[in-house]
Amino acid sequence: MKRIFIIFGSIATILVAWATATASVVSSHTIGSITNQAAATSSPGLSTMAIEGLSNFISMTGFANATVPNLIMIGVGLFFIFLAIKYDYEPLLLIPIGAGVIIGNIPFVAGNQIGIYEEGSVLSYLYFGVQKGIYPPLIFLGIGAMTDFSSLIANPKLMLLGAAAQVGVFLTFIGAIALGFDLKEAASIGIIGGADGPTAIFLSSKEAPHLLGAIAIAAYSYMALVPVIQPPIMRLMTTVEERKIKMKPPRTVTKTEKILFPIIGLIITTFISPSALPLLGMLFFGNLLKESGHTERLANTARTSMIDIVTILLGVTVGASTQASEFITLNSMKIFALGAVSFAIATFSGLAFAKFMNLFLKGDEKLNPLIGAAGVSAVPDSARVVQQEGLKSDASNHLLMHAMAPNVSGVIGSAVAAGILMSFLTYFSSL
Amino acid sequence: MENQTLQVQLSEGLVVTIVGLLLVFLTLAILFLFFNYAMPVIRKNIDAKKHQKAVEVAPVKQKESDTTGEVNAVIAAAIHHYLEEAHDDENTILTIQKVKKAYSPWSSKIYTVHGGMLHR
Repeated sequence: MKRIFIIFGSIATILVAWATATASVVSSHTIGSITNQAAATSSPGLSTMAIEGLSNFISMTGFANATVPNLIMIGVGLFFIFLAIKYDYEPLLLIPIGAGVIIGNIPFVAGNQIGIYEEGSVLSYLYFGVQKGIYPPLIFLGIGAMTDFSSLIANPKLMLLGAAAQVGVFLTFIGAIALGFDLKEAASIGIIGGADGPTAIFLSSKEAPHLLGAIAIAAYSYMALVPVIQPPIMRLMTTVEERKIKMKPPRTVTKTEKILFPIIGLIITTFISPSALPLLGMLFFGNLLKESGHTERLANTARTSMIDIVTILLGVTVGASTQASEFITLNSMKIFALGAVSFAIATFSGLAFAKFMNLFLKGDEKLNPLIGAAGVSAVPDSARVVQQEGLKSDASNHLLMHAMAPNVSGVIGSAVAAGILMSFLTYFSSL
Repeated sequence: MENQTLQVQLSEGLVVTIVGLLLVFLTLAILFLFFNYAMPVIRKNIDAKKHQKAVEVAPVKQKESDTTGEVNAVIAAAIHHYLEEAHDDENTILTIQKVKKAYSPWSSKIYTVHGGMLHR
């Protein structure tokens, strides 16, 4: 104990001595306005100088600059971290975003290249990848390299469920227009219903960069809240008997089919919707790396280290982009409300379409309508929710494999939808 | 004026919604049709080719193989011998075993202290 006092005492003495020695030679550029004024009006002594320097320092601290919105946002960040740790809701996303929200909302005096919206600051450089839509395709590369499309190849009709869930995107698009957003903003908001964070960021970075923070946060938080939002809608839309339907196990898929899928998928989808090329191209490329059998190293990097690095950067900068001054607006609130609606409609339409398909299917071909809810592309969370709901009705009914099919086709579907929206918007803006 | 623009936007939005949704369905439906109908044909072709090759290759191999049981036995023995020599199953549990004589003077401070004193 005595030793600690001695060490810290000596450090403190050295610092004080150093500070007093250098105080007289500090240039007026490095000290704040208060000290400058003081220096101009009087020729101060060492002690007044120290006190005024200290008060200047205090005026630049977070305590002096804190505003209520900042504190609210820090609370939100803490809440995200709490959700991630306590309830395990998408911790890989919510912890970086939560930490980012705190980082972005520490109050500071603007003009020192600190904030994410200040040109030249470190955070703004990291945010560049979000602003220009660089991170989302990289994430898609990793998703492609970790996704197994075999359940989809085995049962291709489930692809239509992935399309059905995109109804949410388009209906919310209309809703957002009705609430007064312009076409581009509305498209970016609608895509939240795709439940696909990277796609939402990609589209809004191109079409409505000023709403990007709110849209990204909404998309990711609803993705994290899949286990909360979806089950009630699932129970509402299906009967107990329907939930008990057992689907026949998918057939085994050959290696050739697995290799052909990304190649054919890439060509077909991007020929129809070339605007989604960065997303779909990377998604199928990643999957080809995985399935080719000769690029295991590349696939492994893409699905582990690379996607992790990008997720970290994306999460933290998206979180930090919620700087209260830019974020707490009426528009953000509307976006959150619309996002929730969008998500609910997507789940709803996926379930409804699965029931619709059942009208045409017979015997053991029948679908368990629950898997329609997995058409929103929150991979693999919504598939997991379907599995859990299935188990609640029948403890021996494992739907996970079946639910993965609409789940991954939802990823393709929402990327296609984003591409289509983008090409339409360029057409309308040219009118 | 504002109402008009809203109406124009809504009608544009409606167009985008209907056409866009159809296009999304179309894209995934094409994928579905391809994998449901074209894929089995492709698979059959590939399987047929593989089958042909297998049929062609198999008898040729049988004719050419003139390795006798003795040769196989020698190869097996050689592999066995090689693997035995390769020492592949060493104990992976490495621990520091306590030596009975715990004291060792190699790093003892007392000697350096004495040495320092002596050289003074």
